[in-house]
Amino acid sequence: MLTCKEVLESLSDYLDADMKEDIVNEMKRHIGACSDCRAEFDTLTMTIKLYKHEQNNPSAMPVGCHDRLVKVLEIEKMRSKGGDPPKMV
Amino acid sequence: MTDEELVRRSKEDDERAFGELVSRYESKVYSLALRMIRNPEDAEDVLQDTFLRAYRGIKSFQGASTFSTWIYRITANSALMRLRKKQLPTVSIEDSDERETPVNIADWTPGPVEQLLSRELQHEMDEAIEALPPEFRQVFVLRDMEEMSNAEVAEILDLSVAAVKSRLHRARLKVRNRLAGYFSDSAKPKRRAMGAH
Repeated sequence: MLTCKEVLESLSDYLDADMKEDIVNEMKRHIGACSDCRAEFDTLTMTIKLYKHEQNNPSAMPVGCHDRLVKVLEIEKMRSKGGDPPKMV
Repeated sequence: MTDEELVRRSKEDDERAFGELVSRYESKVYSLALRMIRNPEDAEDVLQDTFLRAYRGIKSFQGASTFSTWIYRITANSALMRLRKKQLPTVSIEDSDERETPVNIADWTPGPVEQLLSRELQHEMDEAIEALPPEFRQVFVLRDMEEMSNAEVAEILDLSVAAVKSRLHRARLKVRNRLAGYFSDSAKPKRRAMGAH
């Protein structure tokens, strides 16, 4: 029989389906019967849904970012070969 | 051409091969940096730093991990160094072991995600993620934003899988507790207004 403390410590593994089946069944039973642990489970589940929903579109690289990276690498190449770096525009 | 082949050619000073690796990974590296550091200028600095380190280190890259793991490891380390510099005085993760669970967790979960997501809540979530200790944020971003596996994150950050799982759980709880505080505060005026009738 799992205690509330054990359930709370294992909530992420439970949400990630990263535990053995017999423990999953015990977790299910406990969460179904314990309103405090159910609130913990529901709010953690919703938190993950919220930030995944909000953050699922990463920003694209800003305009000119690729060109600046290429320039920095060109300067490094020139330095490593002992030449003068190209002038920054 | 595979990453392995491009790495092999880059080791032989094939500039175009390294350029192809840059093209393949620059967006992913930038995205990871931005999610970790949450500032576009700093994310671009991390991007440049990452590929400079990769360029300088490609000849000593042994191929024990994949190129992608290697480049993400450089990115994560570069972002971590910047976060630590910005968050002085630093709070070590051992010191930040505050109670993870608020005394009362009210259920604020009914309804679809879209209904809850206000601009104010998005701001609260951004602040909650920014407030995570850097070592927690690394794990949180790689696992829950970039959706990598525990094993991949452990390899990138040179941690045990158990440490990854522990940091992820604690990071999630910290974000949840912040949102719980937000929902609790935002519910108060409504309760008062309802009580007045």
